Amino acid sequence: MLDALWEGLLLILQWKPFAFMLVGVLVGFWVGLLPGIGGATTLALMLPFIYTMQPVEAFAFLLGMHSVVATTGDITSILFGVPGEATTAAIILDGHAMAKRGEAGRALGAALTASLIGALIGAAALALAVPIVRPLVLTFGSPELFMLAIVGLAFIASLSAQGARGMVRGFLAGGLGLLLAMVGQDPQAGVGRFTLDTLYLWQGLDLVPVLVGLFAIPEIIDLAVRGTSIAGDVPTGHIRRGALEGVKDVFRHPFLTVRCALIGTFIGITPGLGGAVAQWMAYGHATQSARNAEERKGFGAGDVRGVIGPGAACNSKEGGALIPTIAFGVPGSTSMAILLGGFFLLGLVPGPDMLTKHLSLTFSLVWTIVLANLITVAVCVLLLNHLAGLTNVAGHRLIPAILVLVFIGSFTSNSNYADLVVTLVFGAVGYLMVLAGWPRAPLVLGLVLGKIAENYLYISVARYGAGWLTRPVVLVLLAIAVAVVCYPVIQAWRGRHRAKHA
Amino acid sequence: MHNRASLLLAVAIAALSAWAIFSALAWPWKAKLFPLVISIPLLCLALAEVLWVLLGATSGARAADFRLSEEHPPEVVRRRTLIAVAWIAGFFVLVLLLGFLVAVPLFVLAYLKLQGKEGWLFAIAFTALLWAAFYGLFDELLHLPFPSGWLLEWLGLA
Repeated sequence: MLDALWEGLLLILQWKPFAFMLVGVLVGFWVGLLPGIGGATTLALMLPFIYTMQPVEAFAFLLGMHSVVATTGDITSILFGVPGEATTAAIILDGHAMAKRGEAGRALGAALTASLIGALIGAAALALAVPIVRPLVLTFGSPELFMLAIVGLAFIASLSAQGARGMVRGFLAGGLGLLLAMVGQDPQAGVGRFTLDTLYLWQGLDLVPVLVGLFAIPEIIDLAVRGTSIAGDVPTGHIRRGALEGVKDVFRHPFLTVRCALIGTFIGITPGLGGAVAQWMAYGHATQSARNAEERKGFGAGDVRGVIGPGAACNSKEGGALIPTIAFGVPGSTSMAILLGGFFLLGLVPGPDMLTKHLSLTFSLVWTIVLANLITVAVCVLLLNHLAGLTNVAGHRLIPAILVLVFIGSFTSNSNYADLVVTLVFGAVGYLMVLAGWPRAPLVLGLVLGKIAENYLYISVARYGAGWLTRPVVLVLLAIAVAVVCYPVIQAWRGRHRAKHA
Repeated sequence: MHNRASLLLAVAIAALSAWAIFSALAWPWKAKLFPLVISIPLLCLALAEVLWVLLGATSGARAADFRLSEEHPPEVVRRRTLIAVAWIAGFFVLVLLLGFLVAVPLFVLAYLKLQGKEGWLFAIAFTALLWAAFYGLFDELLHLPFPSGWLLEWLGLA
């Protein structure tokens, strides 16, 4: 195991993977700073670039980008009160309040240090999880792997929206994804399914044009609707001053930092919750750390603990979220579902292979998180005074550049104009979903898992008949799936019952 | 607006799953097992959502996902959305007719001048930079094939 850990480090330190990681960090740095585009969208946009890369290079690039987005997103949130990322909204409450009273440097110093510590704890959790999870995963056969796909869908469908109605929409999105995954030649009987008599659809829907359309088009339209850059002309002043004080603040509250990082890691591991939940739970925990009501009043008005908590949780969740993604192929968030798509594009199947044959690659992911965050925090500290200016890029300058990237990224997957049509169709679907308040993550997961889930189901039925349903692990997983679906419904019913009798 | 979008999505999914069930019935069991396992419950759920919307049940449930900004009045949002969609559709038509190599600089320049109201100097410099990055990376470095576009082929200029 230690050999693989060492090999993972050597893999990432080779010049090509390291260079790709730096490019990824650079892209992620910008994406995090700019409020207009999200991390998941950028991951989808970058997928076409990994076709020609080796797996270690591709993941250094994608994960290098993804793992720093939350770090630089904190900067925009603190300086302008506008979330650089959806996952960095909680830090605004105290971070921006500190900035407004002239303590932007201190808030940024605390946020960056907490982010770094959080990232290191998340990466350590990922490394430590491998020896624990490995024996469990290796006992799984096709029936268990099929049920895992169902559990993943149940988690993401029921938790990505609230209430029974939200859950129905989550399942509708997930089911649509599974249905779309069936487009093309069926692997068992060789029948062309849902091909509309076109040769293009015979090989199935390509993941890249679908994801690019689904995520980038709604954000481009929203950017156009908003008009100018959000950051606007808010004055920031000399922000580097006081940064050291913020660093010291983190070490004045070491247990709070570690506890919030652990909360982030735990939420990352739990499929379907995601970073937006992690930051608020960590913020809630930070407010609980206040000893009395008087001290609690400071939260929301610029208490540094309100910056440390979400800062640590936001980055630690990445390491945690990678655990179910790599070990079981069950992504916990939209970004992880897209990253899972990256695995399949490179011909890798998450699960037992990632913990045996490709163990050093798995550990290279751990090192990517560590190195990318170390580099980002160092650069942020050095450039603190200049970073604010970067957020003033106007929306109308970003839109043509992103749109060119969308069209080219989509076209390069098959060099076919039909790719562009797919992107536009799924752009419309994505926009409607966002408008209607439907979650997009279950659709992505359904599309990514559809083919392998069908394969596992077919093997299970062909090999065991109906007997596969009585295997103990299958029954346990089925119970988990049922519990995941029933719990929010029961919780809502109990809430209504209590309100009626109150 | 949210309910109308939800209704549209639910009706589309119901129609799609009904078509999937109908198509799958003609296939051998190996090919129809999974489509039927998925499409039948999907049709039921979609019809439930349609009923929910038609019966006027509003949902406060918002997805844990990206949300459209709500800082402008609805008519401004509608107008700007239509303009954005027109630009996207326009770029698609340009790519089809003229190919990427011509459509990219033309679109970027037009967008910056007409939509962004940028000055000529900035618009030309930004377009040149973006086109150079696109051409250098995708054409020269990655050697990706970009067709010339239908109009140029028809005119014999490809």
